[in-house]
Amino acid sequence: MTMRDVYVIGIGITSFTRLEFPLSEIAAYPAMMAMKDAGTREIDHLYVANMGGGRVNHQTGLASAVVDTLSLTPAGAETIENGPASGGSAVKTGYMAVASGLHDTVMVTGAERMREVNNLEATDFVATLTHPIAEHIYGVTLPSLAAMFTRLYMEKYGVTERHLAMVAVKNQNAALLNEFAHLHQRISIEGILDSPEAMTNNPYVAEPLRFFDCCPVSDGGACVILASEEVARKVGRPLVKLAGVGQATDTHAVHEREDPTDLLAVRRAAAMAFERAGLTPADVDVAELHDAFTILEIVESEECGFFPKGEGHLALERGETALGGKLPINVSGGLKGRGHPVGATGIAQAYEIVHQLRGEAGERQVKDARVGFTCNFGGFGNNVVCLTFKKED
Amino acid sequence: MPREIYAYKCRKCGHVHYPYRMVCKNCGKNEHNEFEPVPLSKSGSLLTFTTLYSLPPDFEVPSLGLAIVALDGGITVTGQHRIDEPETGMAVRVEVEVVRRDGYDEHYGMVFYKA
Ligand SMILES: [Zn+2]
Repeated sequence: MTMRDVYVIGIGITSFTRLEFPLSEIAAYPAMMAMKDAGTREIDHLYVANMGGGRVNHQTGLASAVVDTLSLTPAGAETIENGPASGGSAVKTGYMAVASGLHDTVMVTGAERMREVNNLEATDFVATLTHPIAEHIYGVTLPSLAAMFTRLYMEKYGVTERHLAMVAVKNQNAALLNEFAHLHQRISIEGILDSPEAMTNNPYVAEPLRFFDCCPVSDGGACVILASEEVARKVGRPLVKLAGVGQATDTHAVHEREDPTDLLAVRRAAAMAFERAGLTPADVDVAELHDAFTILEIVESEECGFFPKGEGHLALERGETALGGKLPINVSGGLKGRGHPVGATGIAQAYEIVHQLRGEAGERQVKDARVGFTCNFGGFGNNVVCLTFKKED
Repeated sequence: MPREIYAYKCRKCGHVHYPYRMVCKNCGKNEHNEFEPVPLSKSGSLLTFTTLYSLPPDFEVPSLGLAIVALDGGITVTGQHRIDEPETGMAVRVEVEVVRRDGYDEHYGMVFYKA
């Protein structure tokens, strides 16, 4: 079967902070921005990414609320829930709708309003995606799974708390150049690791992971509008192609994985996204990886094929993943600095890549970026969506 | 009567699963009730661990030890640990105890102690 090429014609985003608006408005606001950006209101279908509306905000059927609040009825609309990879899944679904020829223009918007509850309740809500009997009953949370994984990675590959702190500093300080980012507070290795106050400033959340190794709990929304080549050429924004999508799953319970330091779903989803696009990791100029925990940026940079297994922390040390380096990762601030409104994150990653490939990213622009990549990590690596993007002339 | 946590052995190929799944991961045998419950081993070694300081609201303790243990016989499990100075590779024994209370409900699970 021949599939059509798919382009991103419009993008929008909210501030990722505490937002005192209904969930449906947090999804609709970036959608309005994206329609302005694209210069069209002709939308055939909507996909709305969200994880916690039913549980945290007591709102279900979110897509029906969003399509009407945008006065886009009678366009079809669905809510897509795939944990913290809901955003990536929604983009992938939108891609399928346009590539298949079913629709010409599809809106993919995502939103989360997690700060309606306190941080512990928000963490507990995310923890419900762990295995109910084999993990969740024990008090297992995502930070604790990340911590146990980190310990193994440290012992096997020589990653240290200093490497983790380097990711935190790189990404949180990158967020200073992103007006929409959640955290606008400069940090240093001295302040979070070396100074006498560091242990107070940066206590353990789940040993060996500290406070600054974990992304904040954020509200926020992001939107991309996908369209066929014909529509994209008519709209006239810079041509950015959604060149490849990949998705893979892994065991629900983390302890069942054969090699506990592998993230196989990341490796498989990334390989698929590259293969479909006819691209390789060496082609990528800018990447947004899912750094919900600092260790994840290091490991994903390996599993996605940018660096050999066990050497991601060495590339980080050499500055290759910072703005100005060989492969800048998370110049938006990543989940760590921009924030992590779970359902919106995968779309916010796509937003940043399109922004970069259009050459509109201002102070944080990666020079001459033509190929971009995103990795959206659901569960503790049990459901992962990767996307590749390519600028065309 | 002492409580047990069970693994599930495929009646066709003998592959042992923990936790339960409905279709065998090894042979794909797709029939209902084709698994035989087998008690999990009561000893193993500590694969990895953490102390969690940011706890779900049900837990009224300042911190909680969590661990992944490779049980003797080949199954790997997640549980709580009560070990003062844990080290990876350390031998542990497994007890089945209450691991979580919510309201009047008590949930039993695996707790690891130094062997
Ligand atoms: Zn079998």
